[in-house]
Amino acid sequence: MKLLTKFNRNYLLLFSATLVLLSFSGYYILTLILKANTRENLLLREVNIKRQIAETGIIPEFRPFIEVTRLNSITRENPIFRQITIYNDEEKESEDYIEYSNTITINETCYLIRIREASVESEDLAFSIAIAIFLLLSATFMISYVITKRLNKTIWHVFETNLDEIERYDFRELSAINLNSANIEEFDRLNLAVTNLTNKLRKDFMAMKEFSENASHELQSPLAIALINLEEILQQDLNKETFAKVITAITAVKRLSTLNQNLLLLTRIENDQFGSSEKISFTKLIEKKIIEFEPLYKAKNLHLNLDSNAEFYASMSTHNANILFNNLISNAINHNIANGSINITIEKDKITICNTGVPNELTNDSVFSRFTKGTSKSYGLGLAIVKQICLKSNLDIKYTKGDHHCFIITPAIERH
Amino acid sequence: MKILIIEDEIELLTAISNYLTRENFICELAESFTKAQEKTAVYEYDIILLDITLPDGNGLELISTIKKYNSKAGVIILSAKNSLDDKITGLDLGADDYLTKPFQLSELNSRINALLRRRNYAGSNMVIFNELKINTDGKAVYIGDKQLTLTRKEYDILLFLIINQNRVLTKEAIAEHLWDDNIDLADSYDFIYTHLNNIRKKIKAAGGNDYIKTLYGMGYKFTDQ
Repeated sequence: MKLLTKFNRNYLLLFSATLVLLSFSGYYILTLILKANTRENLLLREVNIKRQIAETGIIPEFRPFIEVTRLNSITRENPIFRQITIYNDEEKESEDYIEYSNTITINETCYLIRIREASVESEDLAFSIAIAIFLLLSATFMISYVITKRLNKTIWHVFETNLDEIERYDFRELSAINLNSANIEEFDRLNLAVTNLTNKLRKDFMAMKEFSENASHELQSPLAIALINLEEILQQDLNKETFAKVITAITAVKRLSTLNQNLLLLTRIENDQFGSSEKISFTKLIEKKIIEFEPLYKAKNLHLNLDSNAEFYASMSTHNANILFNNLISNAINHNIANGSINITIEKDKITICNTGVPNELTNDSVFSRFTKGTSKSYGLGLAIVKQICLKSNLDIKYTKGDHHCFIITPAIERH
Repeated sequence: MKILIIEDEIELLTAISNYLTRENFICELAESFTKAQEKTAVYEYDIILLDITLPDGNGLELISTIKKYNSKAGVIILSAKNSLDDKITGLDLGADDYLTKPFQLSELNSRINALLRRRNYAGSNMVIFNELKINTDGKAVYIGDKQLTLTRKEYDILLFLIINQNRVLTKEAIAEHLWDDNIDLADSYDFIYTHLNNIRKKIKAAGGNDYIKTLYGMGYKFTDQ
């Protein structure tokens, strides 16, 4: 949920609750005030009635508002207020009244006084006032809501554009990130922090890129010198022991060089440093690779079945596509058993490469990590490179094992 | 045959030049961009070996100078970068081949010979070793008048062995000559043994001699000595 939406929603909820609460309590308070006022009026009227009886001896009568009854005996009751309902014969309906009753003694005569006032009127008044309060408050809230919303929009606008900029920004680009100033201290601080962070990332990335390029040159040249000199030593008349040692040294130098090249390759794939993508038919590519690899799998006496009944297309650079299948097919050959088999099935949206092999401890996750190599003599980078290429080309690759070790390539489900 | 070697690593430069001199090439050396530019502008060469990462300039820029003054020369790029971009740029600019460091001298020799054959130097389409004759244009191998039926890989191995005759070659060197750098050959060298045996049998069946010597089961040498 957007911050502003959340803010507005909470604002509205809180305001509605406050509004209802304020209106109800306003109504309640008004009712109390009016009730107190009525009681005061009734008491005042009692005083007037007492005075009239004392001075004139006339008993006032004004039904249903004033009723005075002369009592025969002298009784004393405490004055009370109560809510009563009286049926009006003329209007044929019941009406609510507040009644005050008291017994008073004037000139040794006892009277029961009942003074009433209609309570409907005061309730109506309270209700009208409460409605007025409600409307007034609603109007105030709405106006303030609209103003805040407008203000927020302008204030957050710069933030939004900067956020878009950060989302679009790729630190592999040469230019620094360009954020707008909002003239708001917090936002400007955030901008500064983001700018500094991306600049550092960019610098580190450039340094790393430069390093991997230079490392290649700096490492390969001494390796070339070592290799050539070892090869020259090999040409001399050597005994078996020395010959074996030189061969071991040559193999080690070659290993070092391949390892270095593969690590660089992995970095370069990760950094998208390989040319533009094109639509490639994996079906045709696999058919070509099978011919290329024939001497290798035949030497191990492996049986290769290709079941291709559809064209599988993917978009990537030819360089990466070649490496992808070089690695997958050499993997199927290198990790195979003598007289084993390789089964390749190509469907429209699925390629399966299965091979016989020995049981291993590898899982779908570990098989693709760097330097996981089980028992073989390989470098443990081939499948890491495969995974990286798939990742970069919107393909999913999965490893399963049962009777056979299988690698399954499918188009990746769109992720955003 | 005159070869110019452009390489800033002095040890590499000396090692390559010593080897090629023994293979009867006349070698001239340039260890910087400037020196290489001077030499290519003044003298003529048959082959130029070009390292593209030089301290005072990019070797790729030399290719245009070479094409201008040494149009007959074949150019082989020697690069520490196994970079497709450089390879494509280099070949587009007019280089003939691209070799990634570290390479073995036998591979360099094989590439130089292939380049010379492609450039059609007189009689260079025939590779002859005693009774063995290879016509590289038709990829045909003869013992006397009899033609051998070799597979593509067997042919490639035999040619590689003859070009590097009298030289000890490892299984790895032969295998790497047959496949591109990017294939992980890890423990797939056995097929070399199978292929060499097949070649031996086919030559023998056609009445030729077995010139393939095995050295302690770890290396091979094509020799009549």
